[in-house]
Amino acid sequence: MQEILTDCGAEDVLGLQIGGPSGTFISNQEFDRKLAFEDLATGGSFIVFNNSRNILDIAHNFTHFFAHESCGFCTPCRVGTSLLKKQLDKIVEGHGSAGDVVALEELCQLIKTHSHCGLGQTAANPVLTTLERYPELYQSQLKLISYEPGFDLDAALETARRMANRDDAGAHLAQIDVE
Amino acid sequence: MNKTITIDGNAIPFEDGQTIMEAATAAGVYIPHLCHHPEYTPHGSCKLCTVRVNGRVCSACTFPAAEGQDVLNNTKDLNDDRKLITQMLFVEGNHFCPSCEKTGNCQLQAVAYYLNMLDDHFPHFYAHREMDASHHEVMIDHNRCIFCTLCVRASQQKDGKDVFAISGRGINKHLIVNAQSGLLKDTDLEASDQAAHICPTGAILIKRTGYTVPIGERIYDHKQIDEVALAEESRPLSKEIDHG
Ligand code: SF4
Ligand code: SF4
Ligand code: FES
Repeated sequence: MQEILTDCGAEDVLGLQIGGPSGTFISNQEFDRKLAFEDLATGGSFIVFNNSRNILDIAHNFTHFFAHESCGFCTPCRVGTSLLKKQLDKIVEGHGSAGDVVALEELCQLIKTHSHCGLGQTAANPVLTTLERYPELYQSQLKLISYEPGFDLDAALETARRMANRDDAGAHLAQIDVE
Repeated sequence: MNKTITIDGNAIPFEDGQTIMEAATAAGVYIPHLCHHPEYTPHGSCKLCTVRVNGRVCSACTFPAAEGQDVLNNTKDLNDDRKLITQMLFVEGNHFCPSCEKTGNCQLQAVAYYLNMLDDHFPHFYAHREMDASHHEVMIDHNRCIFCTLCVRASQQKDGKDVFAISGRGINKHLIVNAQSGLLKDTDLEASDQAAHICPTGAILIKRTGYTVPIGERIYDHKQIDEVALAEESRPLSKEIDHG
């Protein structure tokens, strides 16, 4: 890896995506690894990210890509890639709470193990390979509460408020109980 | 001498050309399934029938039985994953069992009970799906479709028609009917067609037959789906198998 990076003059490297979105993300601690079928396989795709990039954004982008690409033939990929997108959005947008990274990983394994074809079997790789290397990055997104609803409670009351023509304090809900 | 595979350690005979599902069913071994039906070509899409064959994950309904196979079926790991896959099907659509005419006769619901599913586990999609009540005898409630394609296959393979198809991709996949208007009334579907009776869920229902069998006296109200499936599917193929 280091040889290729030197040859192409890459500096300030954060990590590499080898083998496209369905391949492996490696960190800048692993540049002694080899481009080979036995180590890091690729059909030719080699993406270099510098330190101005955000790892969660990368995983997020690829995960959305797979949810969009799923043909929908089998249940684990059809529903799973869309659930994965939702779950990652929840964490990245700061609505995750304790247990949400565990749930994320459980979902990844289910999609990987049970999908019918290679798309589903690799769709969770962006999350799995970054989660393996940067678990603290995912954990640090989580709120320090045991549970948070997956949607905005107050926004969900908007239609009811309009119908009742109310906007007083009693017509609003806090997302979490403030203790 | 009979050829055999083993399923969960038991020797199961098979004939050349049989799938693992067919060999298992003939031998009285239940493998959970939703898109599989013995009278139609296998589809392999729901993934409820996932088994491990010599360690490898396979769909029992499409995988040919072969000498030397050591199959795992009724294990905790597999049933846990099957439950999660069933939960995916529930959150993808809108299933309000207590107010659904199919309750008690529904294979999705029955398989969920069999796998001891007690909640939805995943967040709901709250998908916006339409009803099609245009046909004078048959209605479609898209909220309950799980895209098993049994109606598609039944219409083509039994009825000699081509009433149903699946369109779209990913989570936007949906059932369509073969008419310019997109309405069931403009297709050549008749209530006597196999396609109108094959749906494992409450997505395709025959009108004016609702609640003729009261809740409490329905197929899965007193029997688990494994018992029902083995009794129905291991007997010689009959023309009429009506789950509704
Ligand atoms: S189709 Fe089956 S699972 Fe869905 S609501 Fe009706 S009874 Fe419940
Ligand atoms: S309508 Fe019923 S039979 Fe047809 S694809 Fe949907 S769930 Fe399957
Ligand atoms: S029964 Fe085998 S995949 Fe649906």
